[in-house]
Amino acid sequence: MIEVDQLVKQFRAADGSLVEAVDGVSFSVAPSEIVGLLGANGAGKTTTMRLLATLLSPTAGTARIAGHDIVTDPLGVRRHLGYLSATTGVPDRLTPREVLEFAGRLHGLDRAAIADRTATLLHTLGLESCESRPCGRLSSGQRQRVSLGRALVHNPPALVLDEPTNALDVVGARDLLNLLDTLRDAGRTILVSTHRLHEIERRCDRFVVIHAGRVVAQGTQREMAAEPGSLERAFFAAVEGSGGA
Amino acid sequence: MNALRGIIAVAGFQIRRLLAPQRIALALVGAAFPAAVILAVRRVADLNLDVLALLLYALVPEAVCMLGLLVTMCPVVADELERGTWQHVAVRPGGRRSLLLGTFLAAVAWSSLVALLALALALAAAGLPDSGPLAPMFAVLVLVSCVGRAALFSLPAVIVPKRALVASVAVAFVVEYLAGFLPAVINQLTVSLRLRSLLVRWMGWERKLPPELSLIIDTQPPWVQIVAVVALASVFLFAASIILAGRQFPPAEES
Repeated sequence: MIEVDQLVKQFRAADGSLVEAVDGVSFSVAPSEIVGLLGANGAGKTTTMRLLATLLSPTAGTARIAGHDIVTDPLGVRRHLGYLSATTGVPDRLTPREVLEFAGRLHGLDRAAIADRTATLLHTLGLESCESRPCGRLSSGQRQRVSLGRALVHNPPALVLDEPTNALDVVGARDLLNLLDTLRDAGRTILVSTHRLHEIERRCDRFVVIHAGRVVAQGTQREMAAEPGSLERAFFAAVEGSGGA
Repeated sequence: MNALRGIIAVAGFQIRRLLAPQRIALALVGAAFPAAVILAVRRVADLNLDVLALLLYALVPEAVCMLGLLVTMCPVVADELERGTWQHVAVRPGGRRSLLLGTFLAAVAWSSLVALLALALALAAAGLPDSGPLAPMFAVLVLVSCVGRAALFSLPAVIVPKRALVASVAVAFVVEYLAGFLPAVINQLTVSLRLRSLLVRWMGWERKLPPELSLIIDTQPPWVQIVAVVALASVFLFAASIILAGRQFPPAEES
C-alpha cells in the first residue's frame, strides 16, 4: 500500500526564491493495483516519486510505503520499496547478472538469496540470453529491464517507477508494461509515472493527474479512460481546468 | 553483517572499475615517477640514506598517495550522479554509507598498492646497499597517508560532489600543507604532521633538526601518531557519512 498525505516539497531556486515543486499532493495505491501518475514535464511527478523513494525529504506532509513512514522510518521504506528512476543508469562494464548480484549485496541479501533472486529475475525479465554481456552492449530496452530487475531484487511489495518506458521503442514498452501486469497480478502495489498517455490508458487501474505540483484530477480507469483516447481528453480537461496547459 | 556486505560489494565494484586498462596505465606511470626522479638525481649528485629518505618521503607518501587518492576518492558521489546510478544506490538501506565506506576501502587499497609499487621501484633505482630498512618504514607511511587522506577527501566529496577534485586539492593545500606546518594546535589535526613526525623519529633525525624545525614535528611515540591518524580518519568518515545521509539532490542537480 502506498499512501501519500498532503506532501509538499519546496526547493530554493538560484535567485533565492522558493519553488513549490510538490504542493499538497495526496493519493493512494492499493495492493494489486497499478496507478498512473500523469503530468507534463516539470509537473512534479519525479519529485513526488523521489520523495516516496526517500531520495528527497518532504518540506511538509508525509507518505507511507507498506506502512512505513518516509519521514520517521526511511530505512523501513527502503526495505519495502523498489524504485526505478527515469534515467537508466546501469554500469556499462557489468553484466546484467552482476548488476543484480551487486544490488542484492547492497540490500544485504545472503549468497543463496542473491543466487535465487538473480536466476528468477533473469528469467522473468527475459534477460537470460544476454546475462553475461556487458550492459554497455545491451539495447535500451534490455538496459531498462536490468534496471527494473535491480529495483525488484529484494522482492519489494511496492514499486515506484518513474517513466519506465521513456527510452524504449514500441515493442520494448509493450514488453515492459506486460511485465507490470504480471507484477500487479502477483499482488504488488505499483505507481508508474509517464507522459505517454496512450501507452498506459489500458494498463492502469486508476490515474492521478498532477499539474504545477498539485493533483488536479484522479479517477478510475473506467472514469477517465473508458474508450481509446479518452484519457488524453480527460488529462487536458483537468490540466486546462486548473489554469494551465 | 548486512552493512558489511554492502560495503564490501561497493569496494569490489569500485576496484573492478579501477582495473580498466587506462587506469592501470595511469597507475603504472605514477608508480614509475619517483624512480625516474631518483635516477635523475643520481646523475647529478651522490645519494646517501638521508637524502634518499627525504626524496622518498616527498615523492611516495606525499605525491603518489595524494594523486592516487585524488582520482579514486574524490568522485565518490559525483560519478554516481553523472552515470545516473546514484538513486539506485541511495534507495538501498545503508546504500549511501556503503557507497562512502566501500569507495574509501577501494581508494585506500588502490592508492596503497600503487604507492608500494612506486616505493619498490624507487628503492631499486636508488641502488643504495643500506636502504633495506627504508622499505618497511615507508610502507607504514604509505598506509598511514592513504588511510588519513582518503578519509579527509571524503568530506569535499560529499559536501561539493560536483567540484570534489578542485575542493580536495584546495583542502590538501590549506589543511595539509598550510595548517600542517603551523606550529599551533591546528596542525595536530593534520595527517602531514603525523607523517613528518614518524619520518623524523624513525630516521633518528630529532637531534639533527634545528630548534625552529622541531616546532613542526610532534615528539610523541610512533604509536601515538598512528592512533591519531586512525582517530582523525574515523571522525572524517563519520562526519562524511552523516552529511551524505542527509544530502538531497533535486532532479535538476543530476546532470
